Parts: sequence; structure tokens; C-alpha cells
Amino acid sequence: MVKAPAVERPGSAEEVATRLREAAEARLAVTPVGGGRASGMGDSTDPCDVEIRTSRLDRVLEHSQADMVVSVEAGITVEALQAALLKKGQFLPLDPFNSPGHTIGGLLASGWTGPLRMRFGSPRDFLIGIRVALPDGRLASAGGRVVKNVSGYDMMKLHLGALGSLGVIVAASFKVFPTPLHDVTVESSHASLEEGLAASDKALGLPLAPSALELFSSGRVLARFLGSRDAVERMVGELGWSKTDASAWTQHSRRGPENWARIAVPRHKLRPTLLGLPLDAEWWASPGVGVVHWTVANDPERVRDARSAAEAAGGSLVLMAAPAELKRAIGAWGTPPPTLALMQRLKAAFDPQHVLNPGRFVV
Amino acid sequence: MSMQPQVVAELRSVVGRDHVIDGANDLRIFARDASIEGAMPDAVVLPANSAEVAAVVRLAAKHRVPVVPRGAGTGLSGGAVTIRGGIALQMTRMRRILEIDPVGQTALVEPGVVNQELSLAAASHGLFYAPDPSSQKACTIGGNAAENSGGPHCLYYGVTTNHVLGMEVVFADGSVHWVSGDTPDRIGLDLCGILVGSEGTLCTITKVKVRLLRQPPTVATMLAAFPTVESASHAVSAVIARGIVPAALEMMDQVTVGAVEAHYHAGYPTDAGAVLLVEVDGIAESTRELMSAIREVLAANEGYAMREAKTPAERELLWAGRKGAIGALGRIKPNYYLHDGVVPRTKLPQILSAVGEIGEHYKLPVANVFHAGDGNLHPNILFDLRDHGVLDQVESAGEEMLRAVIEFGGALSGEHGIGLEKSAFMPWVFSPDDLYVMHQVKDVLDPDGIMNPGKVFPDPDRKRARLAGRTGLAIEAKWW
Repeated sequence: MVKAPAVERPGSAEEVATRLREAAEARLAVTPVGGGRASGMGDSTDPCDVEIRTSRLDRVLEHSQADMVVSVEAGITVEALQAALLKKGQFLPLDPFNSPGHTIGGLLASGWTGPLRMRFGSPRDFLIGIRVALPDGRLASAGGRVVKNVSGYDMMKLHLGALGSLGVIVAASFKVFPTPLHDVTVESSHASLEEGLAASDKALGLPLAPSALELFSSGRVLARFLGSRDAVERMVGELGWSKTDASAWTQHSRRGPENWARIAVPRHKLRPTLLGLPLDAEWWASPGVGVVHWTVANDPERVRDARSAAEAAGGSLVLMAAPAELKRAIGAWGTPPPTLALMQRLKAAFDPQHVLNPGRFVV
Repeated sequence: MSMQPQVVAELRSVVGRDHVIDGANDLRIFARDASIEGAMPDAVVLPANSAEVAAVVRLAAKHRVPVVPRGAGTGLSGGAVTIRGGIALQMTRMRRILEIDPVGQTALVEPGVVNQELSLAAASHGLFYAPDPSSQKACTIGGNAAENSGGPHCLYYGVTTNHVLGMEVVFADGSVHWVSGDTPDRIGLDLCGILVGSEGTLCTITKVKVRLLRQPPTVATMLAAFPTVESASHAVSAVIARGIVPAALEMMDQVTVGAVEAHYHAGYPTDAGAVLLVEVDGIAESTRELMSAIREVLAANEGYAMREAKTPAERELLWAGRKGAIGALGRIKPNYYLHDGVVPRTKLPQILSAVGEIGEHYKLPVANVFHAGDGNLHPNILFDLRDHGVLDQVESAGEEMLRAVIEFGGALSGEHGIGLEKSAFMPWVFSPDDLYVMHQVKDVLDPDGIMNPGKVFPDPDRKRARLAGRTGLAIEAKWW
């Protein structure tokens, strides 16, 4: 019989560190949990012994409107943070799929991004400080609360997208952005993939490129223009697509198929990637970034073929959520990078007992 | 300890006789970067390619000799100074632009490529490389990546780490690896992210793949005068508060403006207490709307004599004044000590007044020329090295200024790095645990400590912070 994990809900960063150290000392497998929205990510493992949930760490620690900087505890949801920022006319360009309910810590650890990445980059580009609890019980900070900082090693990068395999993120600081002066969403529909790609290229080639553009396997293209009123209206006019409500983006962010994969390739190799997918495939893509999200069937051959093509293009195919048998058949991550040994040495330094998410991440 | 002749001979066998320098007089040229402290290397080695770099590093590892990668030597924190002797690994023979991909909008370059050369080469494709340190006519892309350099246009476009897609690096054991590349969402840990800005203490960079951006169709540049540094600082905050993030937002104080105007005749108003240089780019509709909003905000904050560049030549001249400001200050005193710190933008008035008071206390003229939009301060202490005992005063004044930066919730460096200059101050902002964890990374990637030793981390054998007694974790705790 499989034993259910013990669930810890620490009330402070210090308590997270203590619980983590105790688990490490007892050699218990720990899974950090934020909103649980990315719980399908990673290789299939035995159930962990302890879940450390960050749900009680849900405060905005400080929001300086004038400095355009916000510090939060890791367990705050993206929606709660956006609501707090919006009151002061600001926002963070975080719009992950399988919303709502992502926590900031979970989002940073999973490395998930959404359509706005095209204009604003990923959190890698606007995370300015981090605080992490480590298996030896330490709490370590890096970065700071200013928008530009090169003091010491950029430890933030190690934890982004590491799926909690080096430590548990307990707090983060971000550079925030002013609410756009003007925000218009337009869409168009196309009969074929080629036409959809051509339409995307046309929009992406405008002198003021859209801030987000999504292409769907149905032939629909959704684009969002942010900027000054005159500039946005001129672009929308040149494109000639029909205006639609901004709520289209909220609906889009709710996509989170039961089984899906993320394909990432250099953006100029997206076209052959899409053309290479099965004809009946359901997907949505960010052509300006080079990412496709594909609703996969439990069909190892098809997914393996698509992964081979993505890796041949220099990219990757990662299972975002999939049945255990599919994960076992082809692995969640694909071919490990040539620097795997170095990554493993870093993992061993931070988590020598391998208690954090054992077997789930690349290292 | 000087290097054994046998090691020099082995180095010559790797890179060729002419590409190892070990004559005492010749070495002197490589003892300094653009910071204040120098130290002689035992040998300067100029490799031609990654394989030679790897062979040199393997030799150094075998003999436990320090390796200090070096680009153009324009660094301002002593990152390229061979403080423990050893090999200065001079990367400037590796200066080819290997590829510019106009479709993928990337460039692959060797580390010795000069920053401005890359943007000039990209320009023929309508592209540019965004990070633009003031030393961009000389500094190299490899050095930029090692230091995570900034520049005026980083306010909107981000610093070097936001533009480096991948690198080929040589680790301390001589192994050569590619980290990251031009695909988003790489698998595994972001090694590239931690190597950028590691100041030569973790690896030697041998190739860099960078993102290029489309040149904006329109650029508008404006100069505005203010009665005081304080009013100009308020104007900076007000522009940002209005929801506008310009491409660049730079400030120069009266001391700087006087020197710049005497040298460049760019039409800077010398009677002003401070000037702001503001730039916005994009399509014409956008720059027009933004510039008119900015004018309004500046005027409401005592801005006057606003002048927009009418021609590209006029714009160039305005920027020549800004980017050449440090050189122009030579008219006031022959030597300078340029500091680098960042405060939350709203603390600019307080920190600038604190900096002014510190300068007055030490009777040293201070010129401020800096990236105001980011809160990235550059107090420039002017002095004459021939004045007896002045260096000690200059260092003390600099340390007090940095301390003030930290007390206002700021950071030790925005773009120059920690290097030799600020390593003793790291405990002001980082707890022993924070530093321990950074050192874990160092120990994994460079277990014998041959890569650029004596940098970034506080060195107990060297100078301590004069204000060490006042440090405390209180500062660290304030962050969270």
C-alpha cells in the first residue's frame, strides 16, 4: 500500500528551512508544492514522503509603486499579486497556462511562461531578488530590491526552472511594469497552417510588433498590441484584423489539457516544427518566441518522433502533464544536455541527500 | 611568487613563442584595468582559439597557477587585475564575428569582439546589440558577459544577461562546454545564467551567442536643464510614475556638464544644476506621444531649456558628451575614481545629497554622471595622484558613499561588478549563508580556486572594509 505524504504548511520562511532540514536529516523525499498547477511536470516517481506547501506564505512583503519593485512571499498566487499591483496601475507580465492558481514560487520553479513573454521576456528577465530555503536548513538570498544589480553570483538563475530540485523558493522580488497606455487585442482566422503562419509573420514584422501573438491549430491568430494610443491604432489599422475583447487572453491562459507537451525550438525553426506535427494535432504556439504547446495522446511513437525533430532543431520537447506510462515510455525531459555532469555536481552540492523531488527533474 | 620558467616554456609551446609575454617592462601594461589598484601578472598569454584556451587552463591547473581572463582592460572594479600573479589570459586575438543570422536575429562572436563593432556589423541587417557600456568603443563582448555589463539603454532593453543566449566556456579543468543556446526553455539548470556576471571566477568565455534587436524606426533624444540635482531626480521618478519607461534616462550634474561642454561644445547648459538626457524610440507615432508626455512631466518638475535633437548628428553629439563625460572630467583633475551603486529610484535626491556631503567632508570634488532611470549612481571622485596621501582619502570617501547606497536599500554594483574593489563590502548586503551558497557554486566549478582568485568574495588576507564594524545583518533582513 502506498502511504500518503505528510503535508507541511509552514507559516514562515524560517519554518520552511527547518522542515526541509529535518526531512533531509531523516532522508525523506520532499516535494515543494505551490498551487499544484504544474504537478504533472517531470518524470514519474514514487510518492514523496513530505509535501512542503507554501500556501501560508502568501503576503505581499513590499510594493514600492514609485520604484516599480515588488517583493512577495512565494505562496502568493499570480492572481492575488496582479490584483494588488493593478490597484497602483502596475502589473507583471505573467500569464502562464493552466491558470488560475499558480503561485509565484511554483511559477519560478516550473519555468512556465505565457504569451506576454514575447515582449517582456520570461521571469528570468525581471526577477531581481530571490530567497531560498535549502536542505541544510540555510536561508539564502541573492539579488536585491533594485532594478539593476551585479553584486555576487546571479543565484536566481539556478533556481528558475529547476523544479525545486536545489531548494524551496520562499520569497521573490520583481521589477514591475506600468499598465500599458493602450491595450488592444485583435484576431483573424485562416483556412490553413500556411496562411496562419503567413498572417503571424505579417503581424510580427510590423514596426511596432505585437506584445503577444498566439497561433492555434484551428487557424486562429490572436494578437495583442500594447503601447501609445496612436502607435497601437496605426498597427491595428495596418493589420486589418477584427478587434476582440481582452478577456480572450484570460480564457487562453486557462488552457491546460490533461496531457500536453511543450516544444521549444529557435523561433525561426517553428514553421518546420509545426508542419512536422501530426495533421490532426491540437496545439497553440507563440511564433515570436519559438514555443508550441501540444495536446498529446497517449502515443509514445508520435511524441518520440516530435521530440526527435525538436531536438534535431536544437530544441526540446517536455511533457507538461502526461500519464505515468507515457512518461515511463519516453521520459518527461528528453535527451539530457551535454553539461549534465556539471548540473549533477551542483545538485549534489545543494542537496547531497537527494531529498528534493528525487527522480523528477533532469538532475 | 613568480612563475617557474618551465611553465612559461610550456605556455609557449601551446600558443607560440610570440604569444606569451613575460618581460618585466612589457608585463607592466597588463598590470592594470580601468580601476584603481594594479598587480603584475607573471605572464600574459594570448590564445588564438578555444583549444588553446583549454590547453593553457589545463597547464595552469596542473601547476596551480591563477588564470585571469582579460578583454580590453576597461573594467572598473579590478576584475582583470592579477592580484595573485599568474596568467593574464588576454582574449583579444579571438576577435572574429563568426556569424550574424538576420533571420534568427542572433550573432555568434568570439570574446574579443569590441561591443561597438558588433552593433556596426549588425546595422547592415537593420539590427543592433542593445547593451551599450560607455566604453563600448573599446570594451569586448567577452568582458561584457563576464561582468554582466550595463549601459544607458539598459533602462528599457535590459543588461547583458538579458541578451546572452548561450556561451562556449572553458572551465577550470580545461573542459570546453556550450551552455544554453538560441532555444527558449532549455532542459536542466541554467548554467549560462550563473556564468554571465561571474567575473572570470568560474570560467573563461570563448564564444558568445547574443540576441540582436531590430533597430527602432525612430529615435527621439532630448536634453533638459534643471535648477538642482534634486529637481532633476524628482523629474526622473515622475516620468517613470507616469507609466513611461524611456530607452534611456541619464543625468549629469553641473560639474560634469561644465567639463563636457568645454570639451564637446554639444550645447549643454552650463548654468544648470543638472541636466537630463532622455531618449525614446519606436515608431514615430509612439515617440511623438511619449516625448510630448515627457516634456509635460519635466516642465512640471522645474525642467527648462528643453532641446530635442533635430538631426542624427545632433543626437550623436549629445551622446558623445554623455559617453565621453568621464574623459572630459580630466579637465578638472588628472585622476578619477568612478564608483557604481544602485538605489531605489526614489532615493536619488537623498543619496546624491549624501554623496555631496561626503565629498565636501574629504574636500574632494565629485562629479555625477549616471543612469538615473535605473537609480544606478556613478559618483566620480576627482583627484590628483601627486597629492600626498590623497588615494587613502579617495578610497575612504568612496567607501562611505557605497555605505550610504546600502543604507538607502541599494546594491553594491549595478554594472561594474564586485571584482577586487568591492569584495570586502559584500558582507554589508549578503549574510554568511548567502555567501556560503555562492561559494558552493565556486567550489563545484573551480575546486582548486585557480580562476581569477581574490575576486568577488571577501578575502580575509586583504584589506577589510573600514566601516566593517558598522555592518550588520540588519541590512540583509530589510529585504524581506
